[in-house]
Amino acid sequence: MTGARPAPEAKEALRERYEAVIGLEVHAQLKTASKIFCGCSTRFGAAPNTQVCPVCLGLPGVLPVLNERAVAFAVMTGLAVGATIHPRSVFARKNYFYPDLPKGYQISQYDRPLCEGGAVEILVGDLVKRIGLVRIHLEEDAGKSLHPEGREGIVTTRVDLNRAGVPLIEIVSQPDLRSGVEAYRYLTKLKQILVYLDVCDGNMEEGSLRCDANVSVRPRGTEAFGTKTEIKNLNSFRYVEKAIHYEIDRQIGVIESGGRVVQETLLWDSARSVAETMRSKEEAHDYRYFPEPDLLPLDLDPAWVGSLRASLPELPDALRERLVRDQGVPEYDAEVLTETRSLATYFEETAARSGQPKLASNWIMTELNAVRNRTGQSIEEFPIRPDRLGALIAMVAKGTVSGKIAKQVFERMLSEPDGPEAIVAKHGLLPIDDEAALLALAREVIAANPGPAAEFRAGKEKTFAFLVGQAMKQSRGRAHPEKLQAALRAALGGAG
Amino acid sequence: MPIDANTVRKIAALARLRIDPGEEGRYVSELASILTYVEQLQPLDVSSIEPTSTVVEGPPTPLRPDRIVPCEVREEALEQAPEREGDYFRVPRVV
Amino acid sequence: MSDALTDRTAESIAAAVRGGEASAEEVARAFLARADRTSKRLGSFLHRTPEQAIASARAIDARRAKGERLGALAGVPVALKDNICTRGVPTTCGSRILEGYRPPYDAHVVERLRAADAVFVGKTNCDEFAMGSSTENSAYFPTRNPWDLARVPGGSSGGSAAAVAAREAALALGSDTGGSVRQPAAFCGVYGLKPTYGAVSRYGLVAFASSLDQIGPFARTARDTALLYDAIQGRDERDMTSRPEARPVSLDALEQGVRGLTLGVPRDLLAAEGVAPEIRERFEVASRAFADAGAKIVDVALPHAQYAIATYYLIAPAEASSNLARYDGVRYGLRVPDLDLATMYEATRGQGFGREVKRRILLGTYALSAGYYDAYYLGAQRVRTLIRRDFTEALRSADVLFFPVTPTTAFGIGEKVDDPLAMYLNDIYSIPASLAGVPALSFPAGFGPTGLPIGLQLVGRPFAEETLLRIARAAEAWGDATTRAPAIAREGAA
Ligand SMILES: [Mg+2]
Ligand SMILES: [Zn+2]
Repeated sequence: MTGARPAPEAKEALRERYEAVIGLEVHAQLKTASKIFCGCSTRFGAAPNTQVCPVCLGLPGVLPVLNERAVAFAVMTGLAVGATIHPRSVFARKNYFYPDLPKGYQISQYDRPLCEGGAVEILVGDLVKRIGLVRIHLEEDAGKSLHPEGREGIVTTRVDLNRAGVPLIEIVSQPDLRSGVEAYRYLTKLKQILVYLDVCDGNMEEGSLRCDANVSVRPRGTEAFGTKTEIKNLNSFRYVEKAIHYEIDRQIGVIESGGRVVQETLLWDSARSVAETMRSKEEAHDYRYFPEPDLLPLDLDPAWVGSLRASLPELPDALRERLVRDQGVPEYDAEVLTETRSLATYFEETAARSGQPKLASNWIMTELNAVRNRTGQSIEEFPIRPDRLGALIAMVAKGTVSGKIAKQVFERMLSEPDGPEAIVAKHGLLPIDDEAALLALAREVIAANPGPAAEFRAGKEKTFAFLVGQAMKQSRGRAHPEKLQAALRAALGGAG
Repeated sequence: MPIDANTVRKIAALARLRIDPGEEGRYVSELASILTYVEQLQPLDVSSIEPTSTVVEGPPTPLRPDRIVPCEVREEALEQAPEREGDYFRVPRVV
Repeated sequence: MSDALTDRTAESIAAAVRGGEASAEEVARAFLARADRTSKRLGSFLHRTPEQAIASARAIDARRAKGERLGALAGVPVALKDNICTRGVPTTCGSRILEGYRPPYDAHVVERLRAADAVFVGKTNCDEFAMGSSTENSAYFPTRNPWDLARVPGGSSGGSAAAVAAREAALALGSDTGGSVRQPAAFCGVYGLKPTYGAVSRYGLVAFASSLDQIGPFARTARDTALLYDAIQGRDERDMTSRPEARPVSLDALEQGVRGLTLGVPRDLLAAEGVAPEIRERFEVASRAFADAGAKIVDVALPHAQYAIATYYLIAPAEASSNLARYDGVRYGLRVPDLDLATMYEATRGQGFGREVKRRILLGTYALSAGYYDAYYLGAQRVRTLIRRDFTEALRSADVLFFPVTPTTAFGIGEKVDDPLAMYLNDIYSIPASLAGVPALSFPAGFGPTGLPIGLQLVGRPFAEETLLRIARAAEAWGDATTRAPAIAREGAA
C-alpha cells in the first residue's frame, strides 16, 4: 500500500489532470429510547454490560421484535431527502463472526431496503450541487470491543454489549462527490438534516455518526470509474476530508508511477494521518445474506407514512429561503442563522420582538456570536434571551439609545437580569437632550478649552469639531449630537 | 463430484468449523451425495415463482412501542461466560 | 395406586388434583418413581428435576388448601425437550457446546405451563440441536424405544416421546422442524402435534430452522393433546411470527365424530417405494374405518411433495448455519481456549458440535455462499412456494389430508447412522407439511406384526388443529392403540 507519493509542489498540477469519484456510507444512530429489537436502553456511557437482555446478548432461543419508532425515524429521514419509501421492505441477516456481534450475524436490510433514491443539496462555491442517494436502510449496531493499550503483553480483548442492538440507519450516497471538501459539506448538511428532524443527535465523539468513504480517481474528462478503495474508521468530518485528500493523492501517485490501484479496504490512522490496508479484495467477506426468518417483511401503512410526512419539521433549506424571502436577510446571513434550528428560532423571536430583522441578524451574527465564541455558550445557554435583545434593538431603531450605548447595555445584560430600559435608567445611560443642560455642558467645555474657543471665534471653523468631540466625551457619549452642536454655537457666540 | 475437498475447506473456514483432516474425506462424500440428491430440483423451472421465506400470512404483526424494559440479567449472563474480566466478556486479542 | 396414577390421562389427573381426590405431590411422586425405574435404560432424560417437581407440587397443593382455583393442568407432570429454555435449569439441546448452560430466562411455553399449574419433571433427550430422526445424535447418549430397547424412539424429540409412552410423564413438549414431533410420536405409539406455524410462540425455543420450527405437544390421548396445546398456543408479543389467528381447541368439539368431514388421500405420495406393507395395511384399515364412520374419502394430489426433502435439506441447514453462529465460545457454553481468536472459534465449534450438526452447518453455509445462493437457497424457497400451493389446493377439496407419518416402524439403533441421506429420506411424509406451515397430527393407529406402534398423519388447514384432533379422537374407539402400554411401563407395577 506504499505507492510513490508525488512531491507537494506537483500535487496541485496533478490534481488538475485527475478527477476524484467519491461515495460515502454514513451510519447514523437513531435517537430512540430503547434498542431496535429489544427493550434495553440506548443511553450512551452506561457501565459495561448493564444495558443488555437475553435478546441483545444473543442468548439461545431469543427473537427480535422491531421498534416502531426506529422505523418512523428512518421513514422521516427518507421523506426529508425525497427518497422513495417502499411499502414493503425486508430485513436480512449479514453473517460474519466477531466477538462484539452476539448472534454471529447483523440484522440489516439487503436487496429490499426501506428507502431508495433521494438527494442532499450542498453549496459548492456559490452554486448548489445535488448529491444523489442510493438507499437508506435500517440495521442494528454491534457491541464494543476494547483492546486495552499501553500495558505490556496484553493478549485479550474486552467486550461490552451495551451498544449491541442500538438502531442505525445506513445512508449510502451515489458516487457524486468530487473532493474531500464536497464530502465535508455533504456530511455537514446530512448531519444538519438529521438533527433538524431530531432523529439523531449527530454526536461523532459518541459514535452517533460514522462514515466510510469509497474513493477512486480517473483522468479528467473520462467516463469509466477507476478502481476504488474503501476507507474506514473516519470518526470526524475533518478526518473524512483529510483521508480523502490523502487517498486521492496516493492513487494519483500510484497511477503516475505506472502502477495500478488495487481494490482494498483501508483503515485511517488519524494519529499518523495515513491509511493502511485492512483487508484485500481476496479476503473480502462472504456475508451470506438471506431474509431474516424471525422478522416478517416490513409492511408500512400508507396512512402512517402520510402522518409522518405531515409531522416533518421545516428543514434547513426551506427555512433559509423563508428567512431571505420574509425577513429580507441576506443569503449569507440566512445560511449562518439556520446552522441550527435553535439559532434560527432565536433569530426569529428577536426579529419579531424588535420588528427589525436586519438589525437582529446583525446583532446575532456580530455581538452575540462574538460573546459565544469567547464563552463557548450554546444559543440555549446564552444569558440574553430574544425578548431582551429584541427590546434593545427596538430602542436603537427608535434612536432612544445610540449604537454605542446599546453595546454598553448589551454588555451589562450579559451579567444583569434587567431589561434594557431598566439598565439604561439604573446606570444613567439616558441621552442628554435638555437645552439648559447642554448649554451648561458647552460652557464647561469652552472654559476648559480657551485656546480652541478663541481660535473658533477668530473664524477657525474646524476647531468646532474638536470642541464637539470634547463635549461628547464629557457626556460619555450621551449628549444628543445635533442639540449639543446648537448649544455649543450658542455658547461660543453669546460669550462675546 | 458436485463438491471437492478444497471447497469443503473453504466453507469450513467461513463457518469457523475445524474439520479434522482425517474426517475431511467423509464430509466430502456425504455432502456430495446430499448435493447430488438435491440436484433433482434443478430441472424445475421456478424462475417465475415467488420465493417463500416465511409462511406467515394475514395482517402485519404490530411493532414494539419504543419503551425501555429494564433487565437485571448482567450478573447471570456474565456468570455463564467462559472467561470474564470484571464486567466484560473476555476473548483472545482481536488483531 | 401409583401406577394407576401414571396410567391416568392428564385430564383426569388435573381433575383429581383440583377436586382433592389426589394431591399434586402424590401424582408427582408416582411419575418420578416410574422414571426412577426406567429413564436410565431408556435414556429419555438429560436432566431430571425431582426436587423442583416435588416443591412445585407442594406449592400447588398448598394453594388448593387455601381454596385457590387451580389451572387446567393442575399437578400434571410435564417433560420438556432440552431445547426449550428453563431458567436456572440446564438447557443443552443435546450438545456439548451448551454443556452446563443454564438460561437466565424461561421460554414462553414454560411460563404458560407454569401458569396452568403443570409440574416439570425434567429435560428430555434429543438429537443435537434437534437435527436428526433417531435421537442417536444426542452428544450424551441415545434414547431407546420403550417398545423395543434395541430400536430408536425416532427423533429429534425422541426423549419426550419415550417419556410419555413409558409413563415417565403424563405430557411432554417437543419441537418439530421437519417431523421431529410427529415421527417419534409414531415410533413410540403416542400423539404428536405439529401446530400451525405461528400458533405457538418460539420465544425460548433454541432455534434450528426459524421458518420451520414449532413447539408441539406429546400425549397419550386426543383430549390430552388438546389440553396441552390449549395451554401453550396463542399470540406472544416476543415472537413476531406468532399469530393472533391461533385459537384453543374445544374438548367438546372433539366428540363430534367424523361424519360429514372429507379426508383427502395423496395417492402419489403413498405410491413412494420403501413404504412398509404393515404401514400401508394400517393406513387402508383406518381409511375404511373413517369411511364407515361417515367420513368422505377422496383422492388429492400433492405433485410437488416429491421435492420436499431436497427443498428442506437446503432451507433448514441454511437457516441453521446462521442460527448456530452464536455458539462461538464468547458469552456462554464451551470454549476451547487459544491465544488466537480465529483458532478459538474453530476449535470451540469443531469440538462443541457433533458430526450431524457440522454436516448441516457446512451444507447450509454452502447453500448461502456467493455463487450458490440463487441455485440452492433461493431455488429451494421457490419450490417451497409450489409445495405450499399444493396444500392450499388439496385442502380446498378436502377438510384434512390423510397419510402415514413414516414409511416404516421404528428402525434399529445404529442401522442408519452411517448413511445420512437414507436417514433424511425417512422424513418423506413429515417434511411437506412443515414446508407448508400447516398443522399436522401424528396419532396412534395400532401396531405392526412385531408389536411396534404405527402412527398415521392428519394434515389440516392453517389453525384447524381442532379438526385434526376431532378425527383422531374418533379413531380411539376402534382399538387399543391409545390404551396399550409398553412392557417397560408395567415393570414393578403392584
Ligand atoms: Mg451497515
Ligand atoms: Zn436487550
